[in-house]
Amino acid sequence: MAIGEGVRLDTPSGEEREVKAVGGTTIDGAPIAYVVALAAVVTVLAFIPLSVVIGSGKSFPMSQGIYPLVGWLLGPVAGALANGIGSLAGVFLAPHTSTMPIATVFGAAAGGLASGSMCVRDTRRSLRVVSVVVFVLAYSLYAGRAVLQNGASLWAVLLGSLINWSALLLFLLPTRTYFARWIGDQDLRKVAMGLFGGTWMIAGLVHLCTSAIIYFVLNWPNAVWVSIAPFAPFEHAVRCLVGTVIGTGVIAGLRAIGLVKPTYALY
Amino acid sequence: MTEIVAKFDSVSYLYPRSSKLALRDVSLEIKKGEFVGLIGPSGAGKTTLCLTFNGIVPQFYGGRFWGKIVIAGMDSLEVSIHDLARRVGMVFEDPETQITATSVEAEVAFALENLGVPREEIEVRIVEVLKILRLEGMEDKHPHELSGGQKQRLAIASALALQPELLVLDEPTSQLDTLGQQEIFAALHALNQKLGITVVIASHASEALADYADRLILLADGEVIASGRPNELYSQVPLLETCGVRPPQVSQIFHLIASRVGQPAAFPVTLNAGIAHFRDICEHYRLACPKFAALDLKKTGTPLFSVQELCYRYPDGTEALRGVSLDIHRGEYVLVAGHNGAGKSTLVKHFLSLSHPTSGKVLVDGVSTDRLSVSALARRIGYVAQNPDNQIFNATVWEEVAFSLRVLGYSDADVQCRVKDSLATLDLLEQRDLHPLSLPRSDRVRVVVAAALALQPEAIVFDEPTTAQDYRGAKVILELSRTLHALGKTVVVITHQLYLMPSYAERMIVLGGGKIVLDAPLRQAFHALETLRTASLVPPQAVLLSRVLDPEALLVTPDEVAACFFPND
Repeated sequence: MAIGEGVRLDTPSGEEREVKAVGGTTIDGAPIAYVVALAAVVTVLAFIPLSVVIGSGKSFPMSQGIYPLVGWLLGPVAGALANGIGSLAGVFLAPHTSTMPIATVFGAAAGGLASGSMCVRDTRRSLRVVSVVVFVLAYSLYAGRAVLQNGASLWAVLLGSLINWSALLLFLLPTRTYFARWIGDQDLRKVAMGLFGGTWMIAGLVHLCTSAIIYFVLNWPNAVWVSIAPFAPFEHAVRCLVGTVIGTGVIAGLRAIGLVKPTYALY
Repeated sequence: MTEIVAKFDSVSYLYPRSSKLALRDVSLEIKKGEFVGLIGPSGAGKTTLCLTFNGIVPQFYGGRFWGKIVIAGMDSLEVSIHDLARRVGMVFEDPETQITATSVEAEVAFALENLGVPREEIEVRIVEVLKILRLEGMEDKHPHELSGGQKQRLAIASALALQPELLVLDEPTSQLDTLGQQEIFAALHALNQKLGITVVIASHASEALADYADRLILLADGEVIASGRPNELYSQVPLLETCGVRPPQVSQIFHLIASRVGQPAAFPVTLNAGIAHFRDICEHYRLACPKFAALDLKKTGTPLFSVQELCYRYPDGTEALRGVSLDIHRGEYVLVAGHNGAGKSTLVKHFLSLSHPTSGKVLVDGVSTDRLSVSALARRIGYVAQNPDNQIFNATVWEEVAFSLRVLGYSDADVQCRVKDSLATLDLLEQRDLHPLSLPRSDRVRVVVAAALALQPEAIVFDEPTTAQDYRGAKVILELSRTLHALGKTVVVITHQLYLMPSYAERMIVLGGGKIVLDAPLRQAFHALETLRTASLVPPQAVLLSRVLDPEALLVTPDEVAACFFPND
């Protein structure tokens, strides 16, 4: 049932017309204004350092906390685009939070695509399949090179990359659907749970894509894998907290003010 | 035959998630070269109607739509917003929402560049529109350096540069002082007269509409209730009052006189016509003006707020306050007035230590604000900022009101009790679970007041609480301030809508150029015409008309002026 249908109205005298957006004012069902606005938010949050990147003298940006949210708000294509544009502007305007520009932009766009692909149901399953292939490949390169090429112990790598393989598992298992359902729920507590779990999953995959590229340069030895193991989950939880706090407020506000909803939005 | 620029044929519209039509069976025509005013209470559908002219409703918002709108020969559902924007210029209530560039020149050029207008043509149009809107010489200024009136003129200039056939403005003067409002209306009138641009303007500024509009359309509950020339529509005072629309004070006065003396006099609706007509009818009635004695508001004891030689300079060097000294005692109801940028908000922010004096002192109950924390002051002084949305950040009305109490460490039982009492006082209990941003602006102000009230403060400061409110909404807020005053609270209200204040404030402080130019009982202050003029303030029409009768009588309201007239024996 379309919104507003079924509501009894004193019948207007005019003929009912089909409402549609004429012209190219949307990208994959998301108004361009939304894409621009969220890209700007990503850029602004790129200025705020969240944590350090070992061995690079750089920081993680706070925008990593909202990459998943952008996809849930805009859908896969527009989400990837907004994250890509926002992070691209960010690497120029706030270079202190970008270890390697290409990795930052690729990770952000992949995150938008993956989270946006949670919004679409039976259609465009291919988006999810492509995402899974990319993420599995990225993990193979990341962990495989650490163990096989750089001689790190398997256990150290598994512990050090816990946020990445746990995210991949959550994305492959039905948990992905649960998170999507919770984010779309009317109960804001479930929305917050969905956002936390969903951000753990998608931001973990963003981190995976980024790290897989950066690792080609940094090539951490075993000692580094061991040292990051206890900190990475904590740092990732902070990332999820950022996504949850911002996301809950944004979703509650968007639902309340009733602005037009992008076609593939999850909220 | 005059060309029709816009034609609405049985138009109805339902917003997504709404169960009430925002527009219902609207049929109207706008002719080329007309200056049309849209009037009606908040929620009447004025903004929705404005947004239909360039297709934003329904193309952007979605929802359900009935009927047909033809703009410049185009069906608004069959062409893109982009194409309609070439023909229809749109100016929103808050110019900040549509200003995006970093210079005045770039702002005007922005829309033209997007429409692919050649560079040489853009340069010509920028010069033209900046001259028309009196913004020449400001080309390189950052829009944020402009005053409120200048920003609004910039928004109009940007719309005008598109050379639209139709210029639609939604409450463009609601945030401006009287002078700024007159500037905007005069500029629009000039555009209408000289360039023949059709103007449609939604506004609560009834005095200005009476002066400038060719035709008014009265909306209520999404329906067109009446349409006609200003003198036809503003003469129907009972109808307007039923619809919650404030007629010009001139109309109110002549309506009241007609009711008293039993003669339906011809109704002038503009000040000049009213003064001329007043002189004519004075001869036909017996006149006896009530005399109001000059009040003495001197009070003793420790003032609640004491400002001593306060100076404040902004980081960019702007001197906002220059040696301001005043005392406000417990239980006073004080109106602080002045033009945009006079330093009113800056002054009251010092009461809460939200700004710190560059020199001088501010004492609250005898203690310097230097020695008081913001949180300690917040417990004692409620502050309702000009834009309620800046103070709202929780997901429900209940949470919003409870927030400060929780932060200040009140027990759960206390929080529950105070929030409930506060929401009941403000009549917001039914909305307790709604998102504050889903409420109309007048209700959002009430949410902020409820949050302030829950702290049970000694004083409440309202910074422009009636901005963008319709008459009914403004009265609701001011009645609330009266209730708080009756409870013994000290009330400070900032506003430049002077006509609203006679029934409420006792004392008026006028700021001009960062200094106090007048501090007097309200009645005397309203009649200090020369001083008000120097502060760019215009007293209510009732004050100006009353001076034709008896300048010494110090009358300030339409009722007081009409009460001077008696039938001849």
